Amino acid sequence: MNEINFSVSPILTFFLNEGVPFETIKLILMLPIIATLIAFLRQVIGIKAFGIYTPLLVTFAFLATDGLRYGILIFVMIILIGMLMRIALKSFRLLYLPRVAIMLTIVALSILLMLAIGGSLKRTGLASVSIFPILIMITLVEKFIAVQIEKGDRAAILLATETLLISILGFYIASWEVLIHFIAFYPWVILLTIPLNVIIGKWTGLRLSEYLRFGEIIKRS
Amino acid sequence: MFEFIKKSRGILGMNARNLEYIRPFNRVSAKRLADNKLLSKRVLKKNDIAVPALISQIKSLEDLDGFDWQKLPDSFVLKPNRGFGGEGIVVVYGRKKRRDDAWVKADGSIITINDLKNHTRNILDGSYSLSGIPDIAFFEERLKLLKLFKPYAYKGIPDIRIIVFNKMPIMAMLRLPTKESHGKANLAQGAIGVGIDLASGVTTTAVLGKQKIIEYVPGTRLLLSGIKIPYWMDILNIAVRSQEISNLGFLGVDVAIDKERGPVILELNARPGLAIQVANLDGLKGRLKKAAGIKIKTVKKGIRVGMDLFGGEIEEELEEISGKKVIGAIEKVRLIGKDGKEIEIEAKIDTGADWSSIDNALAQQLGYGSALEEFEKLNISYDDLKNTNRDERRKLYEKIPDIISAIPVKSSHGYTYRPMINIEFVMDNITTSTKMTIVDRSHMQYPMIIGKVNLKKFLIDTSK
Repeated sequence: MNEINFSVSPILTFFLNEGVPFETIKLILMLPIIATLIAFLRQVIGIKAFGIYTPLLVTFAFLATDGLRYGILIFVMIILIGMLMRIALKSFRLLYLPRVAIMLTIVALSILLMLAIGGSLKRTGLASVSIFPILIMITLVEKFIAVQIEKGDRAAILLATETLLISILGFYIASWEVLIHFIAFYPWVILLTIPLNVIIGKWTGLRLSEYLRFGEIIKRS
Repeated sequence: MFEFIKKSRGILGMNARNLEYIRPFNRVSAKRLADNKLLSKRVLKKNDIAVPALISQIKSLEDLDGFDWQKLPDSFVLKPNRGFGGEGIVVVYGRKKRRDDAWVKADGSIITINDLKNHTRNILDGSYSLSGIPDIAFFEERLKLLKLFKPYAYKGIPDIRIIVFNKMPIMAMLRLPTKESHGKANLAQGAIGVGIDLASGVTTTAVLGKQKIIEYVPGTRLLLSGIKIPYWMDILNIAVRSQEISNLGFLGVDVAIDKERGPVILELNARPGLAIQVANLDGLKGRLKKAAGIKIKTVKKGIRVGMDLFGGEIEEELEEISGKKVIGAIEKVRLIGKDGKEIEIEAKIDTGADWSSIDNALAQQLGYGSALEEFEKLNISYDDLKNTNRDERRKLYEKIPDIISAIPVKSSHGYTYRPMINIEFVMDNITTSTKMTIVDRSHMQYPMIIGKVNLKKFLIDTSK
């Protein structure tokens, strides 16, 4: 990616000349766009996910694992282990943080095992996945457990699924060539996300999901 | 499509709830009160509002170490101070026989002192508190289930959620714990929410969990509509009063009814959920908008206005099914006299009388004075008329305008014949043209009674 074969704005040229990698600039400029997307999905569409931070991080973890396949695999594995471990640890009646620590340990070991199996199956892509995105995704476990305790298994699985969907959508948007070229040429458009978020932040209409939730009232009134 | 959008306008969504109601009407300090169960308990109690009695509290690990578990009563509830959604609550029903370190829980399972200690430690750690901050655990009295609710509730206490805004009750629902909700009265966990008609305190429609509209308690033939909530006025009263006390402009009050103590406030909610709309099959936003413009000075007034504005669904439904209007024992009636003269009075509904009748003085005011005079002038006694038939009687009074006939009326001095006139009256927006007798009601409270012939279009609700 060192060679940029499309036109970029003078500001970006300056950054690039200073030695900032294009990949870094791209991710930083995409961040406000993905964040705005998540805000929009929450307030207007009604897809909740685990807040804004988690889907954002998972999106970037996906971008950094270079391809969705392994990202989704790791994500699903983490959630599955989280669920199983909750059942396994239930009878121990442990305090919250130690319990999360045990879960993190098991998840970490499982990932390690998975990487090893991937390597032995000659799935080199899996083994070469860089460690930081994996670590980021492991922290999902805490979010997942917190929601499980607060709102139960079903809500936690629903939110995890929503997080996964948002992150996949975010992944496709952030790796969309047209958008990347556009932002490289007009980097200032990301400032438009601020007024856009002001509008979203004042939106008091029903969310799309609420039309479904309250459909019975509308039907019968 | 347009219709759909229009109808959805009355519904309160999450965005509007947060931006238009919670932000402007629930101040930070008021929210703090609601989120702190011990504090709101104390404040409500100080203002003479019934709350579950506090047994003791554990504030720290040192408290926990020094806690005397033996002094706990046979039954109690252990709660986190800042818990929400009913999480972290342990309900203990009684002591385990022949053991001094164990109790029995709602589902019959045993809970030991060690279990309780562990749970308390979790509470102190903040496992059940909003955003996980360290918390206080407290023990309070276990409320006893009302007999009425026994068949409806699964192993827990039902409660009544009331939304209060601008000193008015806006909407209410009864929450019934189910097996799926593990005895918790929380809709998100699968409890049943039953809408309540604000005016009568009678349940209407019901929802299971978040969305499923139901008519019966699942697995039974127990109808969920038509349950009359006892102490309804008292419940509305403490709900609205607790708004005054808490200063929460947009408030969800949870009230439970104890078998012995009557209604008690379980907790105040600064961020009430939206499921109440599904239980009532009606939107909150429409009601809140209606309530916003009205100036309410006293609690009493607020309750009355709220009941009038948002209640009466049951009555409307009844009227729809039967095609009849529901009236009370005393109703406002507008009489239309001669030359279009109108007088409004209160009339007594009398199902023991065949005909309606009005007082002499009222008849005079309505323009029947001269007719009445001429009737008296003829001075035909009861005995004279006793053996006449209807047609013969009619003939006798033919000459007097307005008077159609005379019918026998029983009064304190035996039977008399009283004149009958044709007149129109309006009751509950229904105009009736009818024959009516004129009698002496000067010693009665109401100048008019409405008898059976004029009540065919109405149903009478004596509690109205």
